Amino acid sequence: MRYIQFTHPSRGIAAAAGYGGRLAQAGIENQLDWLFGTALTGFAGQARNGQFPVDLYEDKNNTYVRAELPGVTRDTISVEIVDGALSIQASRKGKAAGGEDTVQLKRLVSIPDEVQADKVSAAYENGILAVTLPWSEEAKPRKINVSVN
Amino acid sequence: MSIFNTSNDSSNGASAVAEQPAACRPRYEVAETEGAYALSVFLPGVSRESLEITDEDGELRITGRRAQGAPSGSAVLHRESSDASYELVLTHDNTVDTGKTVAELRDGVLSLSLAKAESAKPRKISVN
Repeated sequence: MRYIQFTHPSRGIAAAAGYGGRLAQAGIENQLDWLFGTALTGFAGQARNGQFPVDLYEDKNNTYVRAELPGVTRDTISVEIVDGALSIQASRKGKAAGGEDTVQLKRLVSIPDEVQADKVSAAYENGILAVTLPWSEEAKPRKINVSVN
Repeated sequence: MSIFNTSNDSSNGASAVAEQPAACRPRYEVAETEGAYALSVFLPGVSRESLEITDEDGELRITGRRAQGAPSGSAVLHRESSDASYELVLTHDNTVDTGKTVAELRDGVLSLSLAKAESAKPRKISVN
Protein backbone atom coordinates (compact mmCIF):
# COMPACT_ATOMS: atom_id res chain seq x y z
CA MET A 1 0.00 0.00 0.00
CA ARG A 2 1.48 3.30 -1.06
CA TYR A 3 0.67 6.44 0.79
CA ILE A 4 0.78 10.05 -0.31
CA GLN A 5 1.17 12.74 2.25
CA PHE A 6 1.30 16.44 1.74
CA THR A 7 1.78 19.28 4.15
CA HIS A 8 -0.66 22.02 3.74
CA PRO A 9 0.92 25.14 2.16
CA SER A 10 -1.44 27.50 3.96
CA ARG A 11 0.28 26.61 7.19
CA GLY A 12 3.47 28.22 5.99
CA ILE A 13 5.29 24.95 5.38
CA ALA A 14 6.36 24.12 1.85
CA ALA A 15 4.27 21.46 0.17
CA ALA A 16 6.06 18.17 0.46
CA ALA A 17 5.30 14.77 -0.92
CA GLY A 18 6.46 12.28 1.66
CA TYR A 19 5.50 8.65 1.96
CA GLY A 20 4.39 7.13 5.20
CA GLY A 21 4.27 3.48 6.01
CA ARG A 22 7.33 2.71 3.93
CA LEU A 23 10.92 3.77 3.62
CA ALA A 24 11.80 7.19 2.29
CA GLN A 25 13.01 5.60 -0.94
CA ALA A 26 9.46 4.63 -1.73
CA GLY A 27 8.91 8.22 -2.82
CA ILE A 28 11.80 8.12 -5.24
CA GLU A 29 10.78 4.70 -6.41
CA ASN A 30 7.31 5.99 -7.12
CA GLN A 31 8.66 8.97 -9.05
CA LEU A 32 10.99 6.75 -11.02
CA ASP A 33 8.12 4.41 -11.77
CA TRP A 34 6.19 7.37 -13.00
CA LEU A 35 9.05 8.73 -15.09
CA PHE A 36 9.85 5.40 -16.68
CA GLY A 37 6.23 4.49 -16.98
CA THR A 38 5.34 7.55 -18.99
CA ALA A 39 8.55 8.76 -20.60
CA LEU A 40 10.51 5.68 -21.52
CA THR A 41 8.04 2.96 -22.36
CA GLY A 42 5.42 5.42 -23.51
CA PHE A 43 2.73 3.55 -21.66
CA ALA A 44 0.09 5.46 -19.79
CA GLY A 45 0.06 5.21 -16.02
CA GLN A 46 -1.16 1.78 -15.20
CA ALA A 47 -2.21 0.12 -12.02
CA ARG A 48 0.40 -2.18 -10.54
CA ASN A 49 -0.19 -4.05 -7.31
CA GLY A 50 -3.55 -2.41 -6.97
CA GLN A 51 -2.09 1.07 -7.39
CA PHE A 52 -3.58 3.72 -9.60
CA PRO A 53 -2.42 7.26 -10.42
CA VAL A 54 -3.76 10.00 -8.17
CA ASP A 55 -3.58 13.79 -8.65
CA LEU A 56 -4.11 16.41 -5.96
CA TYR A 57 -5.21 19.98 -6.59
CA GLU A 58 -6.42 22.77 -4.38
CA ASP A 59 -7.96 26.20 -4.57
CA LYS A 60 -9.19 28.66 -1.94
CA ASN A 61 -12.13 26.55 -0.82
CA ASN A 62 -11.42 22.92 -1.65
CA THR A 63 -8.87 20.20 -2.06
CA TYR A 64 -9.49 17.98 -5.09
CA VAL A 65 -8.42 14.41 -5.62
CA ARG A 66 -8.53 12.85 -9.08
CA ALA A 67 -7.95 9.11 -9.41
CA GLU A 68 -7.65 7.17 -12.66
CA LEU A 69 -9.89 4.17 -12.22
CA PRO A 70 -10.98 3.02 -15.66
CA GLY A 71 -13.49 0.21 -15.92
CA VAL A 72 -14.23 -0.35 -12.25
CA THR A 73 -17.65 -1.50 -11.17
CA ARG A 74 -19.50 1.55 -9.87
CA ASP A 75 -21.04 -0.24 -6.90
CA THR A 76 -17.62 -1.22 -5.61
CA ILE A 77 -16.23 2.33 -5.44
CA SER A 78 -15.79 3.31 -1.83
CA VAL A 79 -14.54 6.70 -0.69
CA GLU A 80 -14.01 7.06 3.04
CA ILE A 81 -12.24 9.34 5.44
CA VAL A 82 -10.38 7.33 8.05
CA ASP A 83 -8.05 8.96 10.58
CA GLY A 84 -7.37 12.05 8.50
CA ALA A 85 -6.73 10.09 5.33
CA LEU A 86 -8.89 9.60 2.29
CA SER A 87 -9.30 5.94 1.45
CA ILE A 88 -10.28 5.07 -2.12
CA GLN A 89 -11.22 1.49 -2.91
CA ALA A 90 -12.69 -0.13 -5.97
CA SER A 91 -12.62 -3.39 -7.82
CA ARG A 92 -12.44 -4.21 -11.48
CA LYS A 93 -13.69 -7.34 -13.15
CA GLY A 94 -11.43 -8.75 -15.81
CA LYS A 95 -11.36 -11.76 -18.01
CA ALA A 96 -8.86 -14.34 -16.93
CA ALA A 97 -7.96 -17.63 -18.56
CA GLY A 98 -10.38 -19.67 -16.49
CA GLY A 99 -13.23 -17.17 -16.36
CA GLU A 100 -13.61 -13.87 -14.57
CA ASP A 101 -11.20 -12.45 -12.07
CA THR A 102 -11.51 -9.44 -9.83
CA VAL A 103 -8.76 -6.94 -9.16
CA GLN A 104 -8.89 -4.99 -5.91
CA LEU A 105 -7.63 -1.43 -6.04
CA LYS A 106 -6.91 0.56 -2.93
CA ARG A 107 -5.12 3.74 -2.09
CA LEU A 108 -4.78 6.02 0.90
CA VAL A 109 -4.21 9.74 0.46
CA SER A 110 -3.59 11.85 3.51
CA ILE A 111 -5.61 15.02 3.54
CA PRO A 112 -5.45 18.24 5.57
CA ASP A 113 -7.20 18.30 8.94
CA GLU A 114 -9.25 21.32 7.89
CA VAL A 115 -11.41 19.27 5.54
CA GLN A 116 -15.07 18.95 6.46
CA ALA A 117 -15.44 15.20 6.37
CA ASP A 118 -19.23 15.31 6.20
CA LYS A 119 -19.26 17.49 3.08
CA VAL A 120 -16.96 15.45 0.88
CA SER A 121 -18.44 14.66 -2.51
CA ALA A 122 -17.35 12.30 -5.28
CA ALA A 123 -18.21 11.74 -8.92
CA TYR A 124 -17.18 9.06 -11.40
CA GLU A 125 -17.01 9.92 -15.09
CA ASN A 126 -15.02 8.53 -18.01
CA GLY A 127 -13.05 6.32 -15.66
CA ILE A 128 -11.92 9.20 -13.44
CA LEU A 129 -13.00 9.42 -9.84
CA ALA A 130 -13.19 13.06 -8.75
CA VAL A 131 -13.39 13.75 -5.02
CA THR A 132 -13.99 17.27 -3.73
CA LEU A 133 -12.97 17.96 -0.15
CA PRO A 134 -14.28 21.31 1.10
CA TRP A 135 -12.33 23.11 3.78
CA SER A 136 -13.96 24.22 6.97
CA GLU A 137 -14.75 27.92 7.33
CA GLU A 138 -11.93 28.47 9.84
CA ALA A 139 -9.34 27.13 7.41
CA LYS A 140 -10.31 29.43 4.53
CA PRO A 141 -8.18 32.54 4.11
CA ARG A 142 -9.99 35.50 5.62
CA LYS A 143 -9.40 39.17 5.15
CA ILE A 144 -9.60 41.23 8.28
CA ASN A 145 -10.00 44.95 8.01
CA VAL A 146 -8.11 46.83 10.63
CA SER A 147 -9.34 50.28 11.47
CA VAL A 148 -6.73 52.66 12.76
CA ASN A 149 -7.93 55.41 15.05
CA MET B 1 6.49 9.62 -26.22
CA SER B 2 8.90 6.81 -26.76
CA ILE B 3 11.78 5.80 -28.94
CA PHE B 4 10.20 2.38 -29.29
CA ASN B 5 6.77 3.51 -30.30
CA THR B 6 7.71 4.51 -33.82
CA SER B 7 4.18 4.23 -35.09
CA ASN B 8 3.28 7.64 -33.65
CA ASP B 9 3.33 10.21 -36.40
CA SER B 10 2.58 13.91 -36.33
CA SER B 11 0.31 13.79 -39.39
CA ASN B 12 -2.49 12.65 -37.11
CA GLY B 13 -5.04 15.29 -36.14
CA ALA B 14 -4.92 14.68 -32.40
CA SER B 15 -1.18 15.12 -32.02
CA ALA B 16 -0.86 17.93 -34.55
CA VAL B 17 -1.96 20.54 -32.01
CA ALA B 18 1.19 22.36 -30.93
CA GLU B 19 0.36 22.49 -27.22
CA GLN B 20 -0.42 18.80 -26.93
CA PRO B 21 2.28 16.73 -25.31
CA ALA B 22 3.40 13.69 -27.25
CA ALA B 23 0.99 10.79 -27.29
CA CYS B 24 1.40 7.78 -25.05
CA ARG B 25 0.24 4.22 -25.56
CA PRO B 26 -2.67 3.24 -23.41
CA ARG B 27 -2.79 -0.06 -21.58
CA TYR B 28 -4.71 -2.66 -23.57
CA GLU B 29 -5.70 -6.31 -23.62
CA VAL B 30 -6.59 -8.58 -26.50
CA ALA B 31 -8.58 -11.77 -26.13
CA GLU B 32 -9.31 -14.13 -28.98
CA THR B 33 -12.43 -16.13 -29.54
CA GLU B 34 -13.35 -18.30 -32.49
CA GLY B 35 -15.04 -15.56 -34.48
CA ALA B 36 -13.54 -12.33 -33.19
CA TYR B 37 -10.82 -10.53 -31.29
CA ALA B 38 -11.95 -8.65 -28.21
CA LEU B 39 -9.81 -5.60 -27.56
CA SER B 40 -10.03 -3.60 -24.33
CA VAL B 41 -8.20 -0.29 -24.16
CA PHE B 42 -7.90 1.64 -20.90
CA LEU B 43 -8.52 5.31 -21.66
CA PRO B 44 -9.25 7.12 -18.39
CA GLY B 45 -10.37 10.71 -18.91
CA VAL B 46 -11.39 10.26 -22.54
CA SER B 47 -14.96 11.07 -23.53
CA ARG B 48 -16.80 9.76 -26.55
CA GLU B 49 -16.32 13.07 -28.39
CA SER B 50 -12.56 13.12 -28.03
CA LEU B 51 -12.09 9.55 -29.19
CA GLU B 52 -11.26 8.61 -32.76
CA ILE B 53 -10.98 5.12 -34.18
CA THR B 54 -9.88 4.40 -37.72
CA ASP B 55 -9.14 1.11 -39.41
CA GLU B 56 -7.56 1.12 -42.83
CA ASP B 57 -4.95 -0.91 -44.69
CA GLY B 58 -4.78 -3.42 -41.89
CA GLU B 59 -3.95 -0.78 -39.31
CA LEU B 60 -6.26 -0.02 -36.42
CA ARG B 61 -5.59 3.40 -34.92
CA ILE B 62 -7.17 4.63 -31.70
CA THR B 63 -6.55 8.17 -30.53
CA GLY B 64 -8.10 9.90 -27.54
CA ARG B 65 -7.58 13.22 -25.86
CA ARG B 66 -7.98 13.48 -22.13
CA ALA B 67 -10.35 15.99 -20.68
CA GLN B 68 -8.82 18.68 -18.47
CA GLY B 69 -8.45 16.99 -15.10
CA ALA B 70 -7.64 19.98 -12.91
CA PRO B 71 -10.55 22.06 -11.67
CA SER B 72 -10.24 25.58 -13.11
CA GLY B 73 -8.29 28.01 -10.95
CA SER B 74 -6.74 25.32 -8.80
CA ALA B 75 -3.07 24.75 -8.06
CA VAL B 76 -1.35 21.39 -8.46
CA LEU B 77 -0.18 19.78 -5.23
CA HIS B 78 0.76 16.36 -6.49
CA ARG B 79 0.62 14.86 -9.94
CA GLU B 80 0.88 11.28 -11.15
CA SER B 81 -1.23 11.29 -14.27
CA SER B 82 -0.14 12.74 -17.59
CA ASP B 83 -1.80 15.17 -19.98
CA ALA B 84 -0.52 13.30 -23.00
CA SER B 85 -3.18 12.06 -25.36
CA TYR B 86 -3.51 8.35 -25.99
CA GLU B 87 -2.53 6.72 -29.23
CA LEU B 88 -2.62 3.03 -29.97
CA VAL B 89 -1.79 1.58 -33.38
CA LEU B 90 -2.26 -2.13 -33.94
CA THR B 91 -1.79 -3.95 -37.23
CA HIS B 92 -3.91 -6.91 -38.19
CA ASP B 93 -2.96 -7.66 -41.82
CA ASN B 94 -6.57 -7.45 -42.97
CA THR B 95 -7.55 -10.54 -41.03
CA VAL B 96 -10.34 -8.44 -39.55
CA ASP B 97 -13.66 -7.70 -41.21
CA THR B 98 -13.65 -3.95 -40.54
CA GLY B 99 -17.30 -3.57 -41.51
CA LYS B 100 -18.35 -5.63 -38.49
CA THR B 101 -16.30 -3.83 -35.86
CA VAL B 102 -18.32 -2.84 -32.81
CA ALA B 103 -17.00 -0.27 -30.32
CA GLU B 104 -18.23 0.72 -26.89
CA LEU B 105 -16.75 3.27 -24.50
CA ARG B 106 -17.73 2.80 -20.92
CA ASP B 107 -16.19 4.26 -17.76
CA GLY B 108 -12.90 4.96 -19.48
CA VAL B 109 -12.56 1.55 -21.11
CA LEU B 110 -12.99 1.13 -24.85
CA SER B 111 -14.21 -2.32 -25.82
CA LEU B 112 -13.77 -3.24 -29.46
CA SER B 113 -15.05 -6.39 -31.06
CA LEU B 114 -13.07 -7.09 -34.21
CA ALA B 115 -14.76 -9.77 -36.26
CA LYS B 116 -12.38 -12.10 -38.04
CA ALA B 117 -12.44 -12.09 -41.81
CA GLU B 118 -13.71 -15.28 -43.43
CA SER B 119 -10.23 -16.02 -44.76
CA ALA B 120 -8.76 -15.88 -41.25
CA LYS B 121 -11.18 -18.36 -39.73
CA PRO B 122 -10.01 -21.93 -39.26
CA ARG B 123 -11.00 -24.15 -42.16
CA LYS B 124 -11.14 -27.85 -42.32
CA ILE B 125 -9.69 -29.29 -45.48
CA SER B 126 -10.76 -32.72 -46.42
CA VAL B 127 -8.33 -35.10 -48.02
CA ASN B 128 -9.53 -37.04 -51.01
